[in-house]
Amino acid sequence: MTDVILEKVGKTYPNGYHAIPSVDLSIEEGEFIVLVGPSGCGKSTLLRMVAGLESISTGELRIRGERMNEKEPADRDIAMVFQNYALYPHMTVYDNMAYGLKNRGMAKDLIAEKVSDVAAMLGLTELLQRKPRQLSGGQRQRVAMGRAMVRDPKVFLFDEPLSNLDAKLRVQMRVEIRQLQRKLGTTTLYVTHDQVEAMTLADRLVVLNKGKAEQIGTPMDLYNKPATPFVAAFIGSPSMNLLDAHLTEQGITVSDELTLPLSHPHRGAIVWGIRPEHLDVSDEHNADFALRIQAVESLGAETLIHGKVETTSGQGDAMVVRLSGPHLPDINSLMWLKAPAQYWHLFDAVTQQRL
Amino acid sequence: MIENRPWLTFVSHATLLTGIALVALPVWMALVASTHPASAFGVGHIPLWFGDAGAETWGAVLFDKAGNGVDVPVWFMMLNSLIMALGITFGKIAISLLSAYAIVFFRFPFRNLCFWIIFMTLMLPVEVRIVPTYEVVANLDLLNSYTGLTLPLIASATATFLFRQCFLSIPGELVEAARMDGAGPWRFFFDILLPLSRTNIAALFVILFIYGWNQYLWPLLITTDDAYYTLVMSIKRMLSVTDGDIAWNQIMATTLLAMLPPVAVVIGMQKLFVKGLVDSEK
Amino acid sequence: MTVTFPQKGLPWLLLLPQLLITAIFFLWPAEQALEQAFYQEDAFGLSREFIGLENFADLFSNPLYYQSILTTLVFSFSVAIVGMSVALLLAVMADRVIRGKLAYQTLLIWPYAVAPALAGVLWWILFDPSMGPIALWLKSAGVDWNHYLDGSQAMILVVIASTWKQISYNFLFFLAGLQAVPRSLIEAAAIDGASPFKRFWTIVFPLLSPTTFFLLVVNLVYAFFETFGVIDATTKGGPGQSTTTLVYKVFDDGFVGLDLGGSAAQSVVLMGIVGLMTVIQFRFIERKVQYS
Repeated sequence: MTDVILEKVGKTYPNGYHAIPSVDLSIEEGEFIVLVGPSGCGKSTLLRMVAGLESISTGELRIRGERMNEKEPADRDIAMVFQNYALYPHMTVYDNMAYGLKNRGMAKDLIAEKVSDVAAMLGLTELLQRKPRQLSGGQRQRVAMGRAMVRDPKVFLFDEPLSNLDAKLRVQMRVEIRQLQRKLGTTTLYVTHDQVEAMTLADRLVVLNKGKAEQIGTPMDLYNKPATPFVAAFIGSPSMNLLDAHLTEQGITVSDELTLPLSHPHRGAIVWGIRPEHLDVSDEHNADFALRIQAVESLGAETLIHGKVETTSGQGDAMVVRLSGPHLPDINSLMWLKAPAQYWHLFDAVTQQRL
Repeated sequence: MIENRPWLTFVSHATLLTGIALVALPVWMALVASTHPASAFGVGHIPLWFGDAGAETWGAVLFDKAGNGVDVPVWFMMLNSLIMALGITFGKIAISLLSAYAIVFFRFPFRNLCFWIIFMTLMLPVEVRIVPTYEVVANLDLLNSYTGLTLPLIASATATFLFRQCFLSIPGELVEAARMDGAGPWRFFFDILLPLSRTNIAALFVILFIYGWNQYLWPLLITTDDAYYTLVMSIKRMLSVTDGDIAWNQIMATTLLAMLPPVAVVIGMQKLFVKGLVDSEK
Repeated sequence: MTVTFPQKGLPWLLLLPQLLITAIFFLWPAEQALEQAFYQEDAFGLSREFIGLENFADLFSNPLYYQSILTTLVFSFSVAIVGMSVALLLAVMADRVIRGKLAYQTLLIWPYAVAPALAGVLWWILFDPSMGPIALWLKSAGVDWNHYLDGSQAMILVVIASTWKQISYNFLFFLAGLQAVPRSLIEAAAIDGASPFKRFWTIVFPLLSPTTFFLLVVNLVYAFFETFGVIDATTKGGPGQSTTTLVYKVFDDGFVGLDLGGSAAQSVVLMGIVGLMTVIQFRFIERKVQYS
């Protein structure tokens, strides 16, 4: 069953700024959707429009078939977890979680029951009488989630909820959020700028760029078949190597002089991409090209090698190679590489569309 | 400090103690004077240590009619002062909270104009518009009334600005969370905004109480009926005696009683007082 | 961008009390003062006639008014400079000491709470020529003190009373300013071999200049407008006109002299002065925000 529908939803600010031209998205019940993109891409604006904290300029938002554009946030049957948690500093954990229910006029004993259930689920039972300032970052995060959960909403909205936690806690909470969402089966819309968080959490991802949805799909779709160079660069770490190239009858010309044979009907300027992990070390005779090594980052389990495509002009494009295990090649030495054709990504340089 | 120079430390303490002594001098003299009979004065020497007429003077001051045309005792005027001070304080806090709330959390036409109108009150202290303000209050039939003593003084640009600053520092996410939790404007005001502004309100309370209690010119203008005399303004009437028969001991005791409540507030709530003073100058 | 509520009528309701009181007790009287300044009214308020700028012309051709301006300037700058100097000295000492800082602060700030009129009365009696202890000491030291007769002595008296009350305020702000001076700067100067005295004048005092300027404005405003009680409870502007400040003159001419037009014209001039000072103060505060 389709739970949330955004139909040509757009946002124009009173000053004329066109933040979001038009986004179409339909979310299935129980689905975990992540909105991801660089800062300023409009992902938070979109989430806040769903929440009712920003007005919707054009298009329609429907939750379970009902139009929501004009409804107050409190009447949309949604709950939100904020980046800075937005816990009421003068209320105890219990009161923070109960506040929304009290405002809805729910009976006291029912509130107590709901709060204690959720608190037990999140391991907050011991902390119910504390004030937010007496809690650690992770505990505050949990209270913020608890406050959303007691409401038993149709949709959870998360606005970069983990960005204020340290790296270790972030991984732990990421796993926890995913498990809880599975358990509760609540439709979720989650905003982040962190592509690792996005990939690990999402059933489907929406990659936003300048207010436009570049691509919507499962994490693997996006990894394997990015629709645009933007998505290709955004998903995966380190980023995909994207080189300006030309497609001719002979194949793809990279760095002006290097040609990789390919028969493809398209002609003209393209962007050629290959992920760092898909480049293989080879020898002088079998290699497609050579890389002049400029820097080596040894991470133990893997090694990242930064270099320039070796050309006669010395103006070759920069590339990154990712090798598993430790490697210690000399700086300035040449490394021979093979780029298997099945891992190539070709994009039209003008339309930015995948070929 | 950085270097260890005992004599510098000694000088510092000595200077501070001298300062304190000088600052306290008039009050000390007043206290001593209030314990001597009136006849001890005017003979060319002033007592420097406590006498034994203290209980008598203070009792007379508190409970007898103040005299010199003031037909109410000091305790009664203290009560009037208290009513005026609290009226002004609560009035100012209440209307400033509401205006700051409107200005920060709502968007409406002429919002800036309203802000500037409130700002203009800063430029019009009562001292520069004495006569016409008196006339307005007289026209409204508010002379000799508690309303007249308090109402015209409760508009406050300073308090409005202070609360505006305080409200602006409340994170927007908190407001959003409250809206998601179904809190309307009134609920938000009472459940979230007021508790969060508690310290600011308390700090302002201290400053405004002092302001209200110490009003002099305004009650002087609009009260001619003893029943509405406040203590601070009445001191002038007690002093204005033509012959030399001023009861100095009683005037000193009255003066001390008039300064006691605000001084006690400053000393007792020093932290809030300092905060209020610093905040209200921002 | 602050988050706002969508209601349109409610904010007006919230603002209503403040706006009403402002309109009735501030704007209306101010407007009346403006109007009155252009009319002449008889002492019983029965008739009045429009006389244009005559009230202002009278005002500015009256030597007493210029004398009052001079009195106000002497009085205000004396209060500001004496008060700030003493307070700065005490604040520097309080900043130096390690033990008893809070106790010193408590014992120095309480006069802020004393009403100006009461401060005036206290000092008035201490200096009373026939029975005031200080006057008697002065007499034994050869100074013939009588503020009932000597205008300069009356002025010194109201300056002392007004300053006494204001020291606490200046002290608090200077102390806060001193505590905000970065320790590392003072330490650097100490390592550079500057003596404590030299450090104060070359490092600390220049860094205090925003506080000093701010306090100067606040003290002038205080001396201009808030010392009415000191003067009214003690000298009543005398002897002669020697302590009649501008604010006292508005009151005196209006209520005692019943020259309503002249008093209103003076009110208008004073409103101009307050406006100017408020603008200066706010300009400065804007700059202070930029500094920090």
